[in-house]
Amino acid sequence: MTDGPLPSDLDRLQLSPHDIERRKAFVDFQPDDAARIATIKDLVVRNVDRYSSTFFDHLATTEEAFGLTRSRSLLEQAKRLKHEHLIAMVQGDYGRDYMEQRVRLGVLYSRAALNARVFLGAFHLLMRAIGADIIKQYANAPGNGFDCFMSLKKIGFVDIGLIVDVLIAERERTINLQQDAIRELSTPVLQLRDRLLILPMIGVIDSRRARQLTDGLLLSIRANRAKIVVMDITGVAAVDSKVANHLIQTVAAARLMGASVIVTGISADVAQSLVALGVDLTSIRTMNDLQGGLEEAERLLGYKVVHADGATPASGSRLTRG
Amino acid sequence: MPVPILKQGQMLIASMQSNLNDQDLMQLKDEIAGKIGRFKSRGVVLDVSILDVLDSFATRTLRSIAETARLRGAETVIVGIQPDVAIAMVQLGLTLDGVMTALDLEEGIDLLVASIEGSRQGGS
Repeated sequence: MTDGPLPSDLDRLQLSPHDIERRKAFVDFQPDDAARIATIKDLVVRNVDRYSSTFFDHLATTEEAFGLTRSRSLLEQAKRLKHEHLIAMVQGDYGRDYMEQRVRLGVLYSRAALNARVFLGAFHLLMRAIGADIIKQYANAPGNGFDCFMSLKKIGFVDIGLIVDVLIAERERTINLQQDAIRELSTPVLQLRDRLLILPMIGVIDSRRARQLTDGLLLSIRANRAKIVVMDITGVAAVDSKVANHLIQTVAAARLMGASVIVTGISADVAQSLVALGVDLTSIRTMNDLQGGLEEAERLLGYKVVHADGATPASGSRLTRG
Repeated sequence: MPVPILKQGQMLIASMQSNLNDQDLMQLKDEIAGKIGRFKSRGVVLDVSILDVLDSFATRTLRSIAETARLRGAETVIVGIQPDVAIAMVQLGLTLDGVMTALDLEEGIDLLVASIEGSRQGGS
Protein backbone atom coordinates (compact mmCIF):
# COMPACT_ATOMS: atom_id res chain seq x y z
CA MET A 1 0.00 0.00 0.00
CA THR A 2 1.58 3.23 -1.09
CA ASP A 3 -1.06 5.58 0.20
CA GLY A 4 -3.17 5.61 3.31
CA PRO A 5 -6.84 5.12 2.56
CA LEU A 6 -9.13 8.09 2.24
CA PRO A 7 -12.52 7.81 3.86
CA SER A 8 -15.24 7.40 1.26
CA ASP A 9 -17.29 10.18 2.80
CA LEU A 10 -14.52 12.73 2.45
CA ASP A 11 -16.99 15.49 1.69
CA ARG A 12 -18.42 15.28 5.16
CA LEU A 13 -15.08 16.69 6.36
CA GLN A 14 -15.72 19.86 4.40
CA LEU A 15 -12.82 20.03 1.96
CA SER A 16 -14.34 22.07 -0.84
CA PRO A 17 -12.18 25.03 -1.97
CA HIS A 18 -14.56 27.31 -0.09
CA ASP A 19 -14.25 25.27 3.10
CA ILE A 20 -10.48 25.18 2.84
CA GLU A 21 -10.43 28.97 2.59
CA ARG A 22 -12.67 29.12 5.62
CA ARG A 23 -10.41 26.80 7.55
CA LYS A 24 -7.53 29.15 6.79
CA ALA A 25 -9.62 32.19 7.64
CA PHE A 26 -10.41 30.73 11.07
CA VAL A 27 -6.72 30.90 11.97
CA ASP A 28 -6.30 34.26 10.19
CA PHE A 29 -3.84 32.97 7.61
CA GLN A 30 -2.63 35.89 5.42
CA PRO A 31 -0.38 36.08 2.34
CA ASP A 32 2.30 37.54 4.66
CA ASP A 33 2.27 34.27 6.57
CA ALA A 34 3.06 32.32 3.42
CA ALA A 35 5.96 34.69 2.72
CA ARG A 36 7.37 34.25 6.23
CA ILE A 37 7.04 30.48 6.05
CA ALA A 38 9.05 30.58 2.80
CA THR A 39 12.01 32.03 4.74
CA ILE A 40 12.22 28.98 7.00
CA LYS A 41 11.55 26.45 4.27
CA ASP A 42 15.17 25.34 3.95
CA LEU A 43 15.63 25.06 7.69
CA VAL A 44 12.64 22.75 8.11
CA VAL A 45 13.46 20.63 5.06
CA ARG A 46 17.04 20.20 6.27
CA ASN A 47 15.96 19.00 9.73
CA VAL A 48 12.81 17.14 8.76
CA ASP A 49 14.03 13.77 10.02
CA ARG A 50 14.89 15.13 13.42
CA TYR A 51 11.46 16.78 13.82
CA SER A 52 9.72 13.67 12.70
CA SER A 53 11.59 11.53 15.21
CA THR A 54 10.78 14.03 17.99
CA PHE A 55 7.16 13.34 17.25
CA PHE A 56 7.42 9.58 17.07
CA ASP A 57 9.92 9.20 19.93
CA HIS A 58 7.48 10.98 22.17
CA LEU A 59 4.65 8.73 21.04
CA ALA A 60 6.81 5.67 21.69
CA THR A 61 6.98 6.57 25.38
CA THR A 62 3.22 6.76 25.73
CA GLU A 63 1.24 3.68 26.49
CA GLU A 64 -1.86 5.16 24.83
CA ALA A 65 -0.01 5.35 21.50
CA PHE A 66 1.10 1.70 21.47
CA GLY A 67 -1.56 0.98 18.87
CA LEU A 68 0.53 3.06 16.47
CA THR A 69 4.08 2.61 17.69
CA ARG A 70 3.89 -1.15 18.23
CA SER A 71 2.56 -1.88 14.75
CA ARG A 72 5.43 -1.80 12.30
CA SER A 73 3.38 -1.31 9.15
CA LEU A 74 1.23 1.46 10.61
CA LEU A 75 4.27 3.16 12.09
CA GLU A 76 6.17 3.09 8.80
CA GLN A 77 3.23 4.54 6.96
CA ALA A 78 2.75 7.20 9.59
CA LYS A 79 6.44 8.14 9.47
CA ARG A 80 6.38 8.45 5.72
CA LEU A 81 3.19 10.54 5.78
CA LYS A 82 4.60 12.70 8.57
CA HIS A 83 7.76 13.26 6.55
CA GLU A 84 5.68 14.30 3.54
CA HIS A 85 3.57 16.48 5.72
CA LEU A 86 6.43 18.40 7.32
CA ILE A 87 7.88 19.16 3.91
CA ALA A 88 4.48 20.14 2.52
CA MET A 89 3.91 22.31 5.55
CA VAL A 90 6.56 24.81 4.46
CA GLN A 91 5.84 24.81 0.71
CA GLY A 92 3.25 27.57 0.95
CA ASP A 93 0.59 25.67 -0.98
CA TYR A 94 -2.24 24.63 1.30
CA GLY A 95 -4.90 23.43 -1.08
CA ARG A 96 -6.92 20.29 -1.36
CA ASP A 97 -3.89 18.05 -1.87
CA TYR A 98 -2.38 19.25 1.37
CA MET A 99 -5.63 18.73 3.22
CA GLU A 100 -6.12 15.26 1.78
CA GLN A 101 -2.62 14.33 2.87
CA ARG A 102 -3.57 15.35 6.39
CA VAL A 103 -6.80 13.38 6.22
CA ARG A 104 -4.83 10.27 5.27
CA LEU A 105 -2.67 10.72 8.31
CA GLY A 106 -5.74 11.32 10.46
CA VAL A 107 -7.39 8.13 9.22
CA LEU A 108 -4.20 6.26 10.01
CA TYR A 109 -4.16 7.66 13.55
CA SER A 110 -7.76 6.70 13.93
CA ARG A 111 -7.05 3.15 12.77
CA ALA A 112 -4.24 2.99 15.29
CA ALA A 113 -6.68 4.17 17.96
CA LEU A 114 -4.54 7.19 18.69
CA ASN A 115 -6.61 9.70 20.59
CA ALA A 116 -6.58 13.46 20.19
CA ARG A 117 -4.97 14.10 23.58
CA VAL A 118 -1.88 12.04 22.79
CA PHE A 119 -1.60 13.38 19.27
CA LEU A 120 -1.81 16.98 20.49
CA GLY A 121 0.97 16.41 23.02
CA ALA A 122 3.32 14.97 20.43
CA PHE A 123 2.43 17.61 17.85
CA HIS A 124 3.12 20.32 20.38
CA LEU A 125 6.59 18.91 21.02
CA LEU A 126 7.26 18.82 17.30
CA MET A 127 6.24 22.45 16.89
CA ARG A 128 8.42 23.37 19.83
CA ALA A 129 11.43 21.71 18.23
CA ILE A 130 10.84 23.64 15.01
CA GLY A 131 10.27 26.82 17.00
CA ALA A 132 13.58 26.46 18.84
CA ASP A 133 15.46 26.13 15.52
CA ILE A 134 13.68 29.14 14.03
CA ILE A 135 14.60 31.30 17.01
CA LYS A 136 18.20 30.11 16.62
CA GLN A 137 18.20 31.07 12.92
CA TYR A 138 16.81 34.50 13.78
CA ALA A 139 19.06 34.97 16.81
CA ASN A 140 19.79 38.55 15.78
CA ALA A 141 16.15 39.39 15.05
CA PRO A 142 14.06 37.42 17.53
CA GLY A 143 10.94 39.41 16.66
CA ASN A 144 11.03 38.20 13.07
CA GLY A 145 11.72 34.67 14.23
CA PHE A 146 8.71 34.81 16.48
CA ASP A 147 6.53 36.07 13.61
CA CYS A 148 7.75 33.25 11.38
CA PHE A 149 6.98 30.72 14.05
CA MET A 150 3.51 32.15 14.59
CA SER A 151 2.82 31.94 10.84
CA LEU A 152 3.85 28.31 10.84
CA LYS A 153 1.74 27.75 13.90
CA LYS A 154 -1.35 28.98 12.03
CA ILE A 155 -0.87 26.17 9.55
CA GLY A 156 -0.23 23.91 12.52
CA PHE A 157 -3.64 24.77 13.90
CA VAL A 158 -5.33 24.17 10.57
CA ASP A 159 -3.67 20.75 10.67
CA ILE A 160 -4.80 20.06 14.20
CA GLY A 161 -8.36 21.08 13.35
CA LEU A 162 -8.40 18.71 10.43
CA ILE A 163 -6.89 15.80 12.33
CA VAL A 164 -9.35 16.24 15.18
CA ASP A 165 -12.21 16.41 12.66
CA VAL A 166 -11.03 13.16 11.12
CA LEU A 167 -10.71 11.47 14.50
CA ILE A 168 -14.21 12.56 15.47
CA ALA A 169 -15.68 11.64 12.07
CA GLU A 170 -14.11 8.19 12.23
CA ARG A 171 -15.42 7.67 15.72
CA GLU A 172 -18.89 8.74 14.63
CA ARG A 173 -18.67 6.31 11.76
CA THR A 174 -17.84 3.52 14.18
CA ILE A 175 -20.78 4.47 16.35
CA ASN A 176 -23.10 4.51 13.34
CA LEU A 177 -21.90 1.09 12.28
CA GLN A 178 -22.54 -0.24 15.76
CA GLN A 179 -25.99 1.33 15.84
CA ASP A 180 -26.82 -0.32 12.54
CA ALA A 181 -25.62 -3.62 13.97
CA ILE A 182 -27.88 -3.20 16.98
CA ARG A 183 -30.81 -2.32 14.75
CA GLU A 184 -30.27 -5.40 12.72
CA LEU A 185 -30.60 -7.58 15.78
CA SER A 186 -33.84 -9.13 14.85
CA THR A 187 -36.66 -8.91 17.30
CA PRO A 188 -38.66 -12.08 16.88
CA VAL A 189 -42.35 -12.19 17.54
CA LEU A 190 -43.10 -15.69 18.77
CA GLN A 191 -46.35 -17.53 18.96
CA LEU A 192 -46.59 -19.27 22.29
CA ARG A 193 -50.12 -20.60 22.04
CA ASP A 194 -53.04 -20.12 19.74
CA ARG A 195 -53.76 -16.36 19.80
CA LEU A 196 -50.90 -15.59 22.19
CA LEU A 197 -47.69 -13.92 21.04
CA ILE A 198 -44.60 -13.01 22.99
CA LEU A 199 -42.29 -10.18 22.01
CA PRO A 200 -38.98 -10.24 23.87
CA MET A 201 -37.38 -6.82 23.42
CA ILE A 202 -33.62 -6.52 23.81
CA GLY A 203 -31.17 -3.67 23.43
CA VAL A 204 -31.66 -0.03 22.70
CA ILE A 205 -35.07 1.19 21.57
CA ASP A 206 -34.86 4.33 19.47
CA SER A 207 -37.50 5.78 17.17
CA ARG A 208 -36.44 3.78 14.14
CA ARG A 209 -36.26 0.49 15.97
CA ALA A 210 -39.53 1.17 17.77
CA ARG A 211 -41.18 1.68 14.38
CA GLN A 212 -39.71 -1.62 13.12
CA LEU A 213 -40.89 -3.42 16.23
CA THR A 214 -44.38 -2.01 15.91
CA ASP A 215 -44.56 -2.91 12.21
CA GLY A 216 -43.38 -6.45 12.88
CA LEU A 217 -45.74 -6.89 15.79
CA LEU A 218 -48.80 -5.65 13.91
CA LEU A 219 -48.08 -7.90 10.94
CA SER A 220 -47.68 -10.86 13.29
CA ILE A 221 -50.91 -10.01 15.05
CA ARG A 222 -52.69 -10.17 11.73
CA ALA A 223 -50.88 -13.31 10.53
CA ASN A 224 -51.42 -15.25 13.77
CA ARG A 225 -54.78 -13.74 14.62
CA ALA A 226 -53.44 -12.89 18.03
CA LYS A 227 -55.59 -11.54 20.82
CA ILE A 228 -52.95 -11.10 23.49
CA VAL A 229 -49.33 -10.03 23.21
CA VAL A 230 -46.89 -10.32 26.09
CA MET A 231 -44.13 -7.76 25.61
CA ASP A 232 -41.12 -8.43 27.78
CA ILE A 233 -38.75 -5.50 28.29
CA THR A 234 -36.33 -7.10 30.76
CA GLY A 235 -33.58 -6.81 28.15
CA VAL A 236 -34.14 -3.19 27.23
CA ALA A 237 -31.03 -1.30 28.28
CA ALA A 238 -32.64 1.96 29.29
CA VAL A 239 -36.25 2.94 29.64
CA ASP A 240 -36.83 6.67 29.67
CA SER A 241 -39.84 8.76 28.77
CA LYS A 242 -39.07 8.43 25.07
CA VAL A 243 -38.93 4.64 25.17
CA ALA A 244 -42.06 4.64 27.31
CA ASN A 245 -43.80 6.70 24.65
CA HIS A 246 -42.78 4.20 22.00
CA LEU A 247 -44.23 1.44 24.17
CA ILE A 248 -47.48 3.34 24.62
CA GLN A 249 -47.74 3.87 20.86
CA THR A 250 -47.06 0.21 20.13
CA VAL A 251 -49.68 -0.84 22.66
CA ALA A 252 -52.22 1.61 21.24
CA ALA A 253 -51.58 0.41 17.68
CA ALA A 254 -51.98 -3.22 18.75
CA ARG A 255 -55.23 -2.35 20.46
CA LEU A 256 -56.56 -0.78 17.27
CA MET A 257 -56.03 -4.19 15.69
CA GLY A 258 -57.99 -5.83 18.44
CA ALA A 259 -55.11 -7.26 20.44
CA SER A 260 -54.31 -6.39 24.03
CA VAL A 261 -50.74 -6.08 25.24
CA ILE A 262 -49.30 -7.04 28.59
CA VAL A 263 -45.94 -5.44 29.34
CA THR A 264 -43.65 -7.40 31.63
CA GLY A 265 -40.15 -7.10 33.00
CA ILE A 266 -40.22 -3.55 34.30
CA SER A 267 -37.58 -3.70 37.01
CA ALA A 268 -37.79 -1.87 40.33
CA ASP A 269 -35.33 0.77 39.14
CA VAL A 270 -37.09 1.31 35.84
CA ALA A 271 -40.47 1.53 37.55
CA GLN A 272 -39.17 4.12 39.99
CA SER A 273 -37.56 6.21 37.31
CA LEU A 274 -40.68 6.11 35.15
CA VAL A 275 -42.75 7.29 38.08
CA ALA A 276 -40.21 10.00 38.82
CA LEU A 277 -40.35 11.11 35.18
CA GLY A 278 -44.11 11.33 35.44
CA VAL A 279 -44.72 8.98 32.51
CA ASP A 280 -48.35 7.97 32.42
CA LEU A 281 -48.50 4.23 31.84
CA THR A 282 -52.04 3.73 33.11
CA SER A 283 -53.12 2.77 29.60
CA ILE A 284 -50.76 -0.20 29.68
CA ARG A 285 -51.45 -3.45 31.46
CA THR A 286 -48.30 -4.58 33.27
CA MET A 287 -47.14 -7.66 35.14
CA ASN A 288 -43.94 -8.06 37.10
CA ASP A 289 -42.23 -10.76 35.06
CA LEU A 290 -42.65 -12.88 31.95
CA GLN A 291 -44.14 -15.75 33.92
CA GLY A 292 -46.78 -13.52 35.47
CA GLY A 293 -47.54 -12.03 32.08
CA LEU A 294 -47.97 -15.43 30.46
CA GLU A 295 -50.21 -16.67 33.26
CA GLU A 296 -52.36 -13.57 32.97
CA ALA A 297 -52.54 -13.97 29.20
CA GLU A 298 -53.55 -17.60 29.53
CA ARG A 299 -56.21 -16.67 32.03
CA LEU A 300 -57.58 -14.00 29.68
CA LEU A 301 -57.62 -16.46 26.79
CA GLY A 302 -59.38 -19.02 28.92
CA TYR A 303 -56.55 -21.52 29.18
CA LYS A 304 -56.07 -23.41 32.38
CA VAL A 305 -52.76 -25.16 32.91
CA VAL A 306 -53.14 -28.22 35.07
CA HIS A 307 -50.43 -30.46 36.45
CA ALA A 308 -50.24 -33.85 34.72
CA ASP A 309 -51.12 -35.62 37.98
CA GLY A 310 -54.23 -33.54 38.41
CA ALA A 311 -57.70 -34.95 37.96
CA THR A 312 -58.81 -32.36 35.42
CA PRO A 313 -57.76 -32.83 31.79
CA ALA A 314 -54.50 -31.05 30.92
CA SER A 315 -54.09 -27.66 29.35
CA GLY A 316 -56.01 -26.45 26.34
CA SER A 317 -59.52 -26.54 27.71
CA ARG A 318 -61.06 -23.24 26.81
CA LEU A 319 -63.37 -22.13 29.57
CA THR A 320 -64.07 -18.51 28.83
CA ARG A 321 -62.85 -15.93 26.41
CA GLY A 322 -61.10 -12.79 27.48
CA MET B 1 -70.46 5.98 -2.08
CA PRO B 2 -72.92 5.16 0.70
CA VAL B 3 -72.18 2.26 3.01
CA PRO B 4 -74.57 -0.69 2.96
CA ILE B 5 -75.83 -1.62 6.41
CA LEU B 6 -76.85 -5.26 6.81
CA LYS B 7 -78.99 -6.66 9.57
CA GLN B 8 -77.76 -9.96 10.94
CA GLY B 9 -79.72 -11.23 13.92
CA GLN B 10 -79.30 -8.75 16.72
CA MET B 11 -76.46 -7.05 14.92
CA LEU B 12 -75.96 -4.43 12.29
CA ILE B 13 -72.97 -4.88 10.01
CA ALA B 14 -71.65 -1.90 8.09
CA SER B 15 -68.88 -2.84 5.73
CA MET B 16 -67.12 0.02 3.97
CA GLN B 17 -66.66 -0.66 0.28
CA SER B 18 -64.36 2.21 -0.64
CA ASN B 19 -62.67 5.18 0.94
CA LEU B 20 -65.34 7.44 2.35
CA ASN B 21 -65.79 11.16 2.14
CA ASP B 22 -67.07 13.17 5.07
CA GLN B 23 -70.61 13.18 3.76
CA ASP B 24 -70.73 9.37 3.48
CA LEU B 25 -69.57 9.15 7.08
CA MET B 26 -72.26 11.50 8.32
CA GLN B 27 -74.88 9.56 6.37
CA LEU B 28 -73.59 6.29 7.89
CA LYS B 29 -73.92 7.78 11.35
CA ASP B 30 -77.53 8.86 10.75
CA GLU B 31 -78.54 5.54 9.21
CA ILE B 32 -77.05 3.45 12.00
CA ALA B 33 -78.70 5.56 14.67
CA GLY B 34 -82.03 5.08 12.89
CA LYS B 35 -81.65 1.36 12.18
CA ILE B 36 -80.66 0.48 15.74
CA GLY B 37 -84.08 1.67 16.81
CA ARG B 38 -85.96 0.05 13.95
CA PHE B 39 -84.33 -3.40 14.29
CA LYS B 40 -83.80 -3.25 18.07
CA SER B 41 -80.16 -4.15 17.46
CA ARG B 42 -77.81 -4.96 20.32
CA GLY B 43 -74.56 -4.68 18.44
CA VAL B 44 -72.93 -2.83 15.56
CA VAL B 45 -69.88 -3.99 13.58
CA LEU B 46 -68.03 -1.39 11.54
CA ASP B 47 -65.67 -3.05 9.08
CA VAL B 48 -62.96 -0.64 7.96
CA SER B 49 -60.55 -3.18 6.48
CA ILE B 50 -60.79 -1.59 3.03
CA LEU B 51 -59.71 1.84 4.29
CA ASP B 52 -56.08 2.73 3.84
CA VAL B 53 -56.40 5.93 5.83
CA LEU B 54 -58.39 6.99 8.86
CA ASP B 55 -58.11 10.72 9.44
CA SER B 56 -59.18 12.68 12.47
CA PHE B 57 -62.66 13.33 11.14
CA ALA B 58 -63.25 9.67 10.33
CA THR B 59 -61.92 8.62 13.73
CA ARG B 60 -64.13 11.13 15.50
CA THR B 61 -67.16 10.05 13.50
CA LEU B 62 -66.54 6.36 14.23
CA ARG B 63 -66.25 7.19 17.90
CA SER B 64 -69.43 9.21 17.87
CA ILE B 65 -71.24 6.38 16.04
CA ALA B 66 -70.17 4.09 18.88
CA GLU B 67 -71.30 6.54 21.54
CA THR B 68 -74.64 7.14 19.82
CA ALA B 69 -75.14 3.39 19.49
CA ARG B 70 -74.38 2.88 23.17
CA LEU B 71 -77.02 5.44 24.10
CA ARG B 72 -79.45 3.51 21.92
CA GLY B 73 -78.54 0.25 23.67
CA ALA B 74 -76.03 -1.32 21.25
CA GLU B 75 -72.29 -2.07 21.57
CA THR B 76 -69.99 -1.19 18.69
CA VAL B 77 -66.91 -3.02 17.45
CA ILE B 78 -64.59 -1.54 14.87
CA VAL B 79 -62.87 -4.29 12.93
CA GLY B 80 -60.15 -4.64 10.33
CA ILE B 81 -57.88 -1.66 11.02
CA GLN B 82 -54.78 -2.38 8.95
CA PRO B 83 -51.26 -2.29 10.48
CA ASP B 84 -50.23 0.81 8.52
CA VAL B 85 -53.44 2.59 9.40
CA ALA B 86 -52.99 1.70 13.08
CA ILE B 87 -49.47 3.10 13.13
CA ALA B 88 -50.52 6.28 11.34
CA MET B 89 -53.39 6.78 13.75
CA VAL B 90 -51.19 6.31 16.79
CA GLN B 91 -48.65 8.73 15.42
CA LEU B 92 -51.36 11.31 14.80
CA GLY B 93 -52.57 10.79 18.37
CA LEU B 94 -55.92 9.43 17.23
CA THR B 95 -57.36 6.88 19.61
CA LEU B 96 -60.56 4.90 19.81
CA ASP B 97 -60.80 4.88 23.60
CA GLY B 98 -63.93 3.29 24.87
CA VAL B 99 -64.67 1.55 21.58
CA MET B 100 -64.05 -2.16 21.13
CA THR B 101 -61.73 -3.19 18.32
CA ALA B 102 -61.14 -6.55 16.71
CA LEU B 103 -58.92 -8.02 14.05
CA ASP B 104 -61.59 -8.82 11.46
CA LEU B 105 -65.32 -9.33 10.96
CA GLU B 106 -65.31 -12.83 12.43
CA GLU B 107 -63.51 -11.75 15.59
CA GLY B 108 -65.74 -8.72 15.91
CA ILE B 109 -68.91 -10.80 15.72
CA ASP B 110 -67.54 -13.24 18.32
CA LEU B 111 -66.69 -10.34 20.58
CA LEU B 112 -70.15 -8.81 20.22
CA VAL B 113 -71.92 -12.12 20.79
CA ALA B 114 -69.89 -12.63 23.96
CA SER B 115 -70.61 -9.11 25.10
CA ILE B 116 -74.35 -9.36 24.35
CA GLU B 117 -74.60 -12.70 26.15
CA GLY B 118 -72.56 -11.36 29.03
CA SER B 119 -74.86 -8.39 29.49
CA ARG B 120 -77.95 -10.60 29.17
CA GLN B 121 -76.66 -12.93 31.88
CA GLY B 122 -75.69 -9.95 34.00
CA GLY B 123 -79.18 -8.49 33.56
CA SER B 124 -81.13 -11.64 34.41
